[in-house]
Amino acid sequence: MRWCLALLLSCLLAAVNALSSSGSRLLVVLDESTEKSAYSTLWSDLEGRGYDVSFESPKSDKLSLFQHGERAYDHLLILPPKSKGLGPNLTPKSILEFLNKDGNILLALSGKASTSSAVSSLLLEIDIHLSNDRSSVVVDHFNYDTVSAAEKHDVLLLQRPGPLRPDVKAFFDGEGILALPRVAPQTLGSDSALVAPILRAPATAYAYNPKEEMPSAEDIEGTGSQLNVVSAMQARNSARFTVLGSVEALEDQWFSASVKAPGGKKTPTVNREFAKQLTAWTFKETGVLKVGKIEHHLATEGEVATEDLNPKIYRIKNETVFSIEVSEYAYDKWVPFEVPGEDELQLEFTMLSPFHRLALEPTGRTETSTVYRAQFVTPDQHGIFSFRVNYKRPFLTNIEEKHEVTVRHFAHDEYPRSWAITGGWVWIAGLWSVIAGFLAFVLVWLYSAPVADKVKKTQ
Amino acid sequence: MAQSSSLDVLLKGSSGQSTRGLLRIIILITIAAAAVASRLFSVIRFESIIHEFDPWFNFRATKYLVQNGFYSFWDWFDDRTWHPLGRVTGGTLYPGLMVTSGVIYHILRFLTIPVDIRNVCVLLAPGFSGLTALAMYLLTCEMSKSPSAGLLAAAFMGIVPGYISRSVAGSYDNEAIAIFLLVFTFFLWIKAVKNGSIMWGALTALFYGYMVSAWGGYVFITNLIPLHVFVLLCMGRYSSRVYISYTTWYALGTLGSMQIPFVGFLPIRNSDHMSALGVFGLIQLGLLRTLSAGVIAPWSGRFYSLWDTGYAKIHIPIIASVSEHQPTAWPAFFFDLNFLIWLFPAGVFMCFQNLKDEHVFVIIYAVLASYFAGVMVRLMLTLTPIVCVAAALAVSSILDSFLVLTKPNPESQTKTTSEDSKSLRSTQKPVVGIYSYFSKAVVTGSITVYLLLFVAHCTWVTSNAYSSPSVVLASRMPDGSQFIIDDYREAYYWLRQNTPDNAKIMSWWDYGYQIGGMADRPTLVDNNTWNNTHIATVGKAMSSREEVSYPILRQHDVDYVLVVFGGLLGYSGDDLNKFLWMVRIAEGIWPDEVKERDFFTARGEYRVDDEATPTMRNSLMYKMSYYNFQSLFPAGQAVDRVRGTRAPTESPQLNTLEEAFTSENWIIRIYKVKDLDNFDRDHNNAVAFDKGLKRKRASKKKGPRVLRTE
Repeated sequence: MRWCLALLLSCLLAAVNALSSSGSRLLVVLDESTEKSAYSTLWSDLEGRGYDVSFESPKSDKLSLFQHGERAYDHLLILPPKSKGLGPNLTPKSILEFLNKDGNILLALSGKASTSSAVSSLLLEIDIHLSNDRSSVVVDHFNYDTVSAAEKHDVLLLQRPGPLRPDVKAFFDGEGILALPRVAPQTLGSDSALVAPILRAPATAYAYNPKEEMPSAEDIEGTGSQLNVVSAMQARNSARFTVLGSVEALEDQWFSASVKAPGGKKTPTVNREFAKQLTAWTFKETGVLKVGKIEHHLATEGEVATEDLNPKIYRIKNETVFSIEVSEYAYDKWVPFEVPGEDELQLEFTMLSPFHRLALEPTGRTETSTVYRAQFVTPDQHGIFSFRVNYKRPFLTNIEEKHEVTVRHFAHDEYPRSWAITGGWVWIAGLWSVIAGFLAFVLVWLYSAPVADKVKKTQ
Repeated sequence: MAQSSSLDVLLKGSSGQSTRGLLRIIILITIAAAAVASRLFSVIRFESIIHEFDPWFNFRATKYLVQNGFYSFWDWFDDRTWHPLGRVTGGTLYPGLMVTSGVIYHILRFLTIPVDIRNVCVLLAPGFSGLTALAMYLLTCEMSKSPSAGLLAAAFMGIVPGYISRSVAGSYDNEAIAIFLLVFTFFLWIKAVKNGSIMWGALTALFYGYMVSAWGGYVFITNLIPLHVFVLLCMGRYSSRVYISYTTWYALGTLGSMQIPFVGFLPIRNSDHMSALGVFGLIQLGLLRTLSAGVIAPWSGRFYSLWDTGYAKIHIPIIASVSEHQPTAWPAFFFDLNFLIWLFPAGVFMCFQNLKDEHVFVIIYAVLASYFAGVMVRLMLTLTPIVCVAAALAVSSILDSFLVLTKPNPESQTKTTSEDSKSLRSTQKPVVGIYSYFSKAVVTGSITVYLLLFVAHCTWVTSNAYSSPSVVLASRMPDGSQFIIDDYREAYYWLRQNTPDNAKIMSWWDYGYQIGGMADRPTLVDNNTWNNTHIATVGKAMSSREEVSYPILRQHDVDYVLVVFGGLLGYSGDDLNKFLWMVRIAEGIWPDEVKERDFFTARGEYRVDDEATPTMRNSLMYKMSYYNFQSLFPAGQAVDRVRGTRAPTESPQLNTLEEAFTSENWIIRIYKVKDLDNFDRDHNNAVAFDKGLKRKRASKKKGPRVLRTE
């Protein structure tokens, strides 16, 4: 009976945890006045994927991201509030704290109203910049929806994005047209490695403030594909923060709308699929890497005994094997992680600077992980080294493994013996010849009789 | 061997009178007991604890030896110091001390005496000082016919502060056994020269080998014995005795010394050892000593600084920065030797009167050691034995002449002196001797008073100057009660209990051994200053701005930074007072990035108050020292009690470090190195954000916009 219950419980737990790799408690922050029902498809999709969705108004006193110093939610979806700012419980500081504690955030902006300064300063901290006036929208005279924005040209029609770089996996690609009405554009800081664009505006797009009379050419921050429609930031602890420029794209009406580009056919939007991809990535259903077993040992024939695994100390010039298991989370299960074609997983053997940087080759595969392996000879330098695997790619959680080992010098009895070194034979011969010579001399000395008597006699 | 030979000498010296021999043994045992007892002040006052800095390493190494056995000690690669370089400790130390206490420990265990290795280490130095007194007796007996000289020398050696400074209980350093070995080796050498025996020469070599395994100061023996032989040769005193003893000693001793990994091939490559080889050649073939350049490594820096006191200051700041490498101040001679220092020349003079081979040795030793002791404070230690010998010769001859009750017989005197008429005129006159009881009483009385004063002085110096563990500081409260300052141990135990086992601690090298020994955490640099660049790296991190230091800290995996700050208590040995050495050593490696001049004000003053230079105020060391210091005082009244100046009124701002621990009296402050910012901001901005300061928009930067590319 009891084990039945336990089984049931574990099944339930499995069902609850089936989706995101990092918990299912999702808090949606939206104004009470906002039509919650306008996004009903999104909520039902999220709940269908196992999320435990709760709603709070930013002004609510009950709203708190933390309870007893721990995160109260795993994920946060913030819709743009009507009022100014996000209220006293969602300060930029507490939002960054939420990220520091491994929470994930999807922040939706809207080009309809100007974005609050609190949000703007929050984004500034993570090197995502909004336009100066915070109320621009992206306009494109070539890729707009002729059905809904024939005049204003502010509903962008875009393809779903392919891979960002050849060595990066694509998590948001697919067929179909996205409709993104009234996008608040973002630009990314030029030197931050943590931010990455998910969806860029087309080359013909520009930012335009509909409230201003004359757009001034002076303070243009970016045009064309420098403007981002959706951007992402993945912190060092792999907490994810996604900024979606157009909250309207998540509304039911755009999930099921049909759009027509200038000179194109009327096609249904794929906003719903894209929303799934976007929330799945942000809430860590995709692109999550996990390091399994890490083993290093001396290279030997056959099996390695468990006590010889992961030794703390090696010697210089040891043949060493390092292997690491990596899995990737794909929506509901762990699968073996495959490095994209043009990329490689690398192992560094480092003391102050890398002495080796080697490609880890996939050598085996278990049900949920790929085993990568490298074999090398430890350098001729003793010291405290570390095996490091540092794999940080856009849209994949960071792998930063560091395992310290000591590399010692030769012990006194590990050098080759003198007679094994052919160059030393000369010296060995010299040594023994001196000993032999001395012994010979002593013998001669002892057995040569003194002849001094004659001299005495003559005296 | 030493035991039986000493007994042998004792009984022979007593000229057959067994009561005298017995008395002498009792006196020697008493002297040894007094020598041990006077070194126990620190144990009684404080506790059985290892003192100072270097002993902590020796203690740690001994523990390693006892736990892991001799072979793994021999091949020990220490990964808890000099992170991340590590140290081939087994090959870079003098193992004699550790092996000695390890052997003692195992013998005691074998005798089923349960003893802690710490207590063996703490009491090793007093124990060996008793043996030193015995060795001193033997050495002095070789110099003088009067047995009282030997006893006096033993008594002097037992309690003289110059030796006690290095051998109180807890001072577990190489010198603890090395001085015994030094004296005993010299005794054996004199014995060998006197007898011309291979056995004594081999014994000398054996103890020389032990000395090499125990202390770097063996070079003193390596040079003194050849010099002795050389001078004897120059005086035309070449004899088969000298030949046999020297060649035996040189051949066996050099082979023995080469067995120590740290010494290795130095005896045939280093110039410090060339005089021995040269004299060996000279004595063999009449060859003059040759210094063939190239094969022979140049004289090491420490050795240069012996000859020219200015050398180190100019060329090697790391050597000059050690206080015990400074030239000796004059009062130190009286402080450490008391009335022996003025008897010393008299004793040396008496050696001239009676110039046998062994007296030549005393003279050479005296001249060399006095010079070296004047150059470097720590070499006072090598001077002390010969001062004791010479002073004992002087005192014993005074006492021998004045303590005799019977009046001299003038007739017998004239007979003996008239025999050799060729000697100097002053000696041709009959020695009249002392007849008056009054003068006998005055002289012996005053000598007795001096001896009593000497004992009082030694006791006072030992108790007040040399018995502080320096790990624990003692001071007096206004009401006279003792106040123990235990900040060091407080901080080290904090590290031990609150940080991960392999948290890397960065501090100035002075504290490396203590952190390794007491906190058991890896350190970047320690008192074994083998890698100047690594020390300079730490110096650079300490003396640079945070923006420069932080990458250095990250690269070296530093988790915590430890500084010593005496500003609250007036503890003058703190890091800000040593700071200029850090700057100088760093400047030696990075002259473009760290400049000593920038730490002085325009008028050339070293200021830490509000007039400190910007470089000073931005340096990591300054910031860590004064961080939040003003909060202890009412506004505007913060005072630095060491430097006697006002402390900065506003706390320096630390962005890349956060305070982790400050000890009770603020002597030790520990800072944790922050991780990289989670959002890749630089730490200035992150701290400003946490304080609620609004950030300026990056786009307001001047210059053309940089486009982002993926």
